[in-house]
Amino acid sequence: MNRLQANLCLVCVTLCWSTEVIIFSCIPDNVLPFATTFICNAIASVILAVCFFKRVKKEISTSGKKTLLRCLLLGLLNCGYNVLYLYGLNDFDVSTGAFTFSMTVVVLPVVLITMRKTVGAKTWASVVLVLVGIVVALGGNIASVPPLGLLLMFMGCVVRAVFIVKLNEYAKEHDAVSLSVFISAFVAVISFVIWLVLQPNTFAEIPWSGTIIASLFIHAYFIVAFAQTLNIFAQKRATATEATIIYTLEIVFSLIWGAVLPETLIERVVPTPFHIIGALLIVAGSIIEIVEFKGNRRLKNVS
Amino acid sequence: MSLKLSKLSKPVRFCLITCVLILVYLIIAIPFKVMSVIPGFTDIRPVMLLKPVYGIFFGIPGCIAFAIGNLIGDIISDSLRWSSIAGFAANFLGPFVFYVFWTRISKTPFSLRTGKSILKQLAVIVVSSVIEALIITPAVKLIYPEIDMLLLFITIFLNGAAFPLMLGIPLMILMQEELGFKPITR
Repeated sequence: MNRLQANLCLVCVTLCWSTEVIIFSCIPDNVLPFATTFICNAIASVILAVCFFKRVKKEISTSGKKTLLRCLLLGLLNCGYNVLYLYGLNDFDVSTGAFTFSMTVVVLPVVLITMRKTVGAKTWASVVLVLVGIVVALGGNIASVPPLGLLLMFMGCVVRAVFIVKLNEYAKEHDAVSLSVFISAFVAVISFVIWLVLQPNTFAEIPWSGTIIASLFIHAYFIVAFAQTLNIFAQKRATATEATIIYTLEIVFSLIWGAVLPETLIERVVPTPFHIIGALLIVAGSIIEIVEFKGNRRLKNVS
Repeated sequence: MSLKLSKLSKPVRFCLITCVLILVYLIIAIPFKVMSVIPGFTDIRPVMLLKPVYGIFFGIPGCIAFAIGNLIGDIISDSLRWSSIAGFAANFLGPFVFYVFWTRISKTPFSLRTGKSILKQLAVIVVSSVIEALIITPAVKLIYPEIDMLLLFITIFLNGAAFPLMLGIPLMILMQEELGFKPITR
């Protein structure tokens, strides 16, 4: 996979993630997010392990303990930022929350610097554009958000930034499919423990129907098994900053779905001019990071 | 897997590959049949992402599997009509266009490593989707005269083009570059 292909794959990953809200609209609100996370990750982990049994077995025999420990760390970070976002988002409306979610792109270069890694001028330019885009889109809404919600979202972004940097680092050393299998497995286990604590009856609490089962399988195939594995393969070639900047396109896709798709699928959101300008700035920031400018083609992929 | 497959006779291998591909098609398609996303009109069909994959990586068995998979999907979702015959033909031709293009027409072997090759693939996706829509739309119109032909054409075209473009291209990059799948050559 070359750099162009890696970036295309990251755009596809972001697109898949943006459809999460559409898939989950078929699941009743009384089903806890930890339940869906457990079920989807467990299904994805099993499917991937069965399909790529030889690769996983080889990875375990070569660096089993190291891989497992690293995947455990990634699983914990993944669950950590999802929990922070989950509770943080309670204080936001849909569009404000979604734009705040993209703040990881601003936090990530700072995390990289604290880890003594270099961040290029082009990346800073992209980050500034994306940040301006987020601020423009948020407009005056940010002033009405309770500080605790904002703090939780900020902490979520920091944990997510560390997750992306670590994933990028490990993707270059380990087999991507094996990483995906073990991350899903650990996320499933951690989510199940939280689910068990919050809802001791676990499976009995879910109002099972064909639609719920179908939604869970669709999420497991596309969002977890496919998108997560594709993401790890792409991260072998892309840098952590490239990946994070491309991830911010999620808000652009979400805006498009909200404006275009029927209400049977998604809560319609009419984008304001501020949303549109903000989204355009985010796209501009992503393009600057993705495109290789003349004379810059020999840049090495460094985090 | 490839070693064991090579020991089988050609017709047996052909049937085996076709069956496995039908199974994969159904595993992806059935959840979307259960989850009716636009009731009364059509469904969203991400399984169409398999169209170029089946044509390019599996050739004729892939084309047959894609058509049979779609037919079985119609039976399961209780939407088997006379127009399913046109659906069968269109769903065979969809992946077949990719197979013919990359094995007979294109001077270079299949690859998605450059912007030019991705544009080529994009053009084939458009052609294949137009052919599918041209076959299915009149057949459905014959059975449901009240239906808006243009809207139906656009829906079939978008289903046939959007998913191979947005999900199919990255999947093929993954298969060819990282998972060791070889495209069918001339």
